[in-house]
Amino acid sequence: MGLKRDVSLSTGLRYRGPAGYLTFILHRIGGLGMGIFITLHILASFVGGRFGGAINGIYENWAFQIFIFFCVMFHAINGLRITILDLFPKLLDYQTEAIWIEWAVFIPLYGISVFVILQTALGG
Amino acid sequence: MEVTVKIFRYNPEKDKRGNYVTYKVDADENDRVLDVLEYIKGKMDGALSFRRSCAHGVCGSDAMRINGRNMLACKVLVRDVGTNITVEPILGLPIKKDLIVDMEPFFDNYKKVLPYFINDSALPENGRERLQSPEERARFDETTKCILCAACTTSCPSFWANGEYYGPAAIVNAHRFIFDSRDEAADQRLQILAETDGIARCHTAYNCTVACPREIKVTKAIGEVKMAMMTGKLD
Repeated sequence: MGLKRDVSLSTGLRYRGPAGYLTFILHRIGGLGMGIFITLHILASFVGGRFGGAINGIYENWAFQIFIFFCVMFHAINGLRITILDLFPKLLDYQTEAIWIEWAVFIPLYGISVFVILQTALGG
Repeated sequence: MEVTVKIFRYNPEKDKRGNYVTYKVDADENDRVLDVLEYIKGKMDGALSFRRSCAHGVCGSDAMRINGRNMLACKVLVRDVGTNITVEPILGLPIKKDLIVDMEPFFDNYKKVLPYFINDSALPENGRERLQSPEERARFDETTKCILCAACTTSCPSFWANGEYYGPAAIVNAHRFIFDSRDEAADQRLQILAETDGIARCHTAYNCTVACPREIKVTKAIGEVKMAMMTGKLD
């Protein structure tokens, strides 16, 4: 007898990992977000009509665009970091610094994008 | 100082699920968490179960989650984790009792990567040892330090999701022999690690590197094995 090995999502998320663990989680959220976006997009084109229009309304909404832009941009920049470190394992000595660089690239780029989306959406 | 210790408890003979029991202990800031657990077991609750052996960070028996992160209880001081300490078993392995997990699945994965020296060619003419330069030895020095405590493997989200994944510890021990110039089974090990539950399941969360009590750069070792797999070169 004993308890099974199952690790629930909430238990896993509560693990106090390093900065790399946060990027690992955000990478998955990014992938999931893009999956939702593409599914909605295909569904809207396939179904059409009022239902399709309603779905279009979701992803044309500025709040959704800010979310999806986060997903795409973070997934791309984080993926690039992982690829570089995979190709040059010696750089893994500086994995923490690589994550700082990633945030230093991501935050201004994403900040500008959010600013432009908000200015367009709310500025008229 | 008074330390509040919240410990995961599970008795397979009575409990259907685990629960937490809190103890108040008078401890010194330089005490190790293992000392605190020993005190609780000795003076307050003899039924508390946990593994320990050398108590000096060598045997790797007492890996547990302390304040949400994998550590060896014998290597972490009270002053490093504060006066509110939560102690739980490591994740991803079946729990047998309290903080004791079933290590068999971990060792089964470890054995899959052939973690022993393989060389079937004849001994040197003098019949003595196979020589190795200091540089050749240094190539895998880091990964010889592994004590198989499972802190890395049980901190890995890929392992939590799939217990068949060999896990960081197995790959670290494969690295130790793959890059040993005297060993002749690197190709065999790389083939094993190329299987579905092998190295491809590493998604570089880095939890393993931080969890390792021996400060092995686990993700780097995995990265080097990945590169050897891609290029077929062991330099």
